[in-house]
Amino acid sequence: MAEAFEPKIVAFLCRWCAGAGADLAGTSRLHYPPNAIPIRVNCSGRVDMEWVVEAFRSGADGVLIGGCHPGDCHYVSGNYKTRRRVYLLRKVLSEMGIEPERVRLEWVSATEGAKFARVMREFVAELKGLGPLHLEAAERPAEPIAARERV
Amino acid sequence: MRAKPKLAVYWTGGCGGCDVSFLELGPSLLDVLSRVEIVFWPALVDTKRADLESLPPRSIAVTLVNGTLRTEENVEMVHLLREKSELLVAFGACAHLGGVPGLANLASREEILRQVTGDGFQPAPPPGGDAADAPPELLPQARPLSAEVAVDYVVPGCPPMPSLIGPFFDALLSGDLPAPGHVFAQDQALCKECPRTREDRKLTRVVRPHEIVPEPTQCLLDQGMVCLGPVTRGGCGAACPKAAMPCTGCVGPTPEAGDPALAMIAALGSLVRAGDEGPAAFEAEDKILNALVDPLGTFYKYSLPAYVRARRAR
Repeated sequence: MAEAFEPKIVAFLCRWCAGAGADLAGTSRLHYPPNAIPIRVNCSGRVDMEWVVEAFRSGADGVLIGGCHPGDCHYVSGNYKTRRRVYLLRKVLSEMGIEPERVRLEWVSATEGAKFARVMREFVAELKGLGPLHLEAAERPAEPIAARERV
Repeated sequence: MRAKPKLAVYWTGGCGGCDVSFLELGPSLLDVLSRVEIVFWPALVDTKRADLESLPPRSIAVTLVNGTLRTEENVEMVHLLREKSELLVAFGACAHLGGVPGLANLASREEILRQVTGDGFQPAPPPGGDAADAPPELLPQARPLSAEVAVDYVVPGCPPMPSLIGPFFDALLSGDLPAPGHVFAQDQALCKECPRTREDRKLTRVVRPHEIVPEPTQCLLDQGMVCLGPVTRGGCGAACPKAAMPCTGCVGPTPEAGDPALAMIAALGSLVRAGDEGPAAFEAEDKILNALVDPLGTFYKYSLPAYVRARRAR
């Protein structure tokens, strides 16, 4: 019998809000599915879209980016930049035939442990509905022939 | 006197523009041609595959391949050329990164055939011919040259400009070749050689080239055109921005930019503004970004197969 599909999630969480919210969910002993690998970053604005795609190529089925609520960004506007980038990335992904819902941007404050747990439950359920991604890397170029002998 | 180096030029899934691009060298082309011996060049001289097969291994000094890999025959030919050549060069955007025909990777081979030829089409030999005369099968996807064989150098561009072809022939004929893997273009961005003035304005609109007559001295990106200059290699002399058209990225991304789509998403995400930032502006910002029709085709116009593995038939 095939094993039930458990989606793999990479969660980029800013240290000021979403990361602290995730910590609060843990210290409050809230239950939520353990599908995410959290990666703490200084700001959601630091999340390079290259990392999101790299997470997919490395086997992730979904990527969560957690930042501060609008107006709360420790660096003033990092969350706004990321919102616009995620908006564009999702358009590009859907043109590729990848469900844009696989990239999720959420505002989670340091006091919102319960919201973090709810977001994780929702996202896991949504990804279970979408199924595995299996994004392959693009063609790996053949290496140039090093130190070719000249006749 | 030393024998002239043997030169071969071959086309796979291309448009022929690369073969024509040599003419842009002007009078210096005569000098180049007088210093090489053409052994194989289907666009120019009457040589057949059998002539190529009869050559000893690595007897061709340099082979320039243009076009994307699209058929099984393309793949056979580039392996044959690789075997017979000392140096193999990806010439032009298709061989370099997959090129414009690589955008077809968004559709399956079956869909493409159905679109072009209608339902039920099967490649078949001509009347009276045997099976070997049938046209070659399409590959499931278009592929850059380097996906199949080792590539020594790249002369990029769509088609390569004389400012990129010239230095390649200079290097080849002087024997002073750079390390393998070299791309005959700048490592720094096109913006460095663009004469337009960049003020790093915030973008309050995104426009397509037909929608405005751009101001002649200001940066096109500042004026709302999606110019790929910031993520694209220089070397062409900013030919398109000089002619009031945004760069579409044919020379390929700079090493620093990497994936051109992700680099442009980062740039546009930083630049777009609809008044003061905040939840009240979200909708208006999205509207500005929506004016960028087909972001994937815009960012990966020449490079989809090199960066994206097509994953399903839509």
